[in-house]
Amino acid sequence: METTKTPLQLVVNGLLNENPIFRLALSMCPAVGISTTVMNGLMLGVAVLFVQVCSSCTIALIKNYIHPRIRIPTYTLTIATWVTVIDLVLSAYAPVAYKAMGIFIKLIVAFAIITMRLEVFACKNTVGKSFWDGIGMGLGFMFGMVTLGFIRELLGMGTLLGHDVLGFRPLLFFALPLAGFFCVGFMMAVFNYVELVFNRMKKKAG
Amino acid sequence: MRDILRITIGLTISCLIAALIMGAVFTVTDKAKKHNEQMDLKKTMLGLLGYSETHPPPPEFKLFQVYRYVIDDKGSQYIGYMVPVKKGKKEAYALLVIDLQGNLKKEYDLAIKPEKAIQMSERHTALQEVVGPPKTFTYADSFMVAMLGTKRTAYLIPGEFHGFKSFIRVMLALNPSFTVTGIDILEQEEDPGLGAEIVEDYFKNQFIGKTYNEINKLKVIKKPLPKEYREYLEREKGMFTRQQVEEIRKKYEDADIYALTGATITSRDFTGGIKNMVRKFAYRTGILDRVITRRNVPAAF
Repeated sequence: METTKTPLQLVVNGLLNENPIFRLALSMCPAVGISTTVMNGLMLGVAVLFVQVCSSCTIALIKNYIHPRIRIPTYTLTIATWVTVIDLVLSAYAPVAYKAMGIFIKLIVAFAIITMRLEVFACKNTVGKSFWDGIGMGLGFMFGMVTLGFIRELLGMGTLLGHDVLGFRPLLFFALPLAGFFCVGFMMAVFNYVELVFNRMKKKAG
Repeated sequence: MRDILRITIGLTISCLIAALIMGAVFTVTDKAKKHNEQMDLKKTMLGLLGYSETHPPPPEFKLFQVYRYVIDDKGSQYIGYMVPVKKGKKEAYALLVIDLQGNLKKEYDLAIKPEKAIQMSERHTALQEVVGPPKTFTYADSFMVAMLGTKRTAYLIPGEFHGFKSFIRVMLALNPSFTVTGIDILEQEEDPGLGAEIVEDYFKNQFIGKTYNEINKLKVIKKPLPKEYREYLEREKGMFTRQQVEEIRKKYEDADIYALTGATITSRDFTGGIKNMVRKFAYRTGILDRVITRRNVPAAF
């Protein structure tokens, strides 16, 4: 069952319709744990984008050779290989970037969103489509993380990207992991509401 | 049955391919990675001593590394210090075996080139020759002595202690009378926004300038950090006049450590860890120095 969506539709799909954090509610643990600042969210987002695209392409390439019964171990293996490769290469040739992103990259092996994307999309579609789907999902995750980081950093620490904006810390609570769930819930509500309004408008127009 | 076989073979092959890729990447990148780590550490160390790229150390500046080992000889334990020594004009390493009372028991010359001593495997082959079986040795820790000409200017001590969540790795700079002159956090995994604030200047700089006696008496207090003290701790060059710096320093000279908001446990663990490091280091260095002067060991530092 191959998708008929165009690349642009795939990217938008990942960003909005099937946003990994706000619509699919996947990879919540790392998302909630890491998204304390905009920078942290962005770094994890970039790392996920990278691994998602690489893994999606790999699986789409070798999908005909995977025995259906061992597809999940194969996915995990693919992700783990890519994560290790990226980790090693970055640490060797981009030490500055590695210093900022190092701890995030190692986390990715256990991300549900990547495995799920491989299972739902990459193993049924061509390499090109999987590439665009990977980009969409990665960007969607990054968007979610940065939004969460924005809310939590501003409210929890009164800063943005490390710069003091408010001059005081409004609610220390937002720096704690628990507040991450509140933020996700709030954003989900926003997404659902927007969808509702959008559908209503469509109906009226139609 | 055929399915099982196919699955087994399939999984094995994919694992092998993955292992091959990872192994290949590792061999290619390993050297560069190690090099980066060492350069990073060197930069941290020089930074702690007040040197930077724009302000490089003078030519007579030198760093000597001392390694501490625990040696077990048929049930009785000794401390072995691998010390850089002068041999004529050349430098070499010697092993000083000190018993628990602080007396030198034996002194061995080690066949190791000083520049290779940084590698653990090289050190262990050299040590194996003099303290081989039935004696055993275990690596404990190491520290560095910074020298300007023939004068000791600072000690650099890497250390590790537990924080609230995980271990905190730090590098401490002490002057020869064990006053803290610099502190750098190499690795920590505390909560961002709470415990992770230990890396910020306004917390870690509270330790700087504390003498050995002050460190020993140090406590953590749960009071808000005074504004002028915070500004002083976070100051950059030129923000305060020398007189102002001196005034504030005097005022807070024997202040305790102001705990981080929402991270009292981290603050306590950190202070305790630093206290412990300084105390143990001063004690050990006292013993080592006594042995070196008493036995006229031609130590390089």
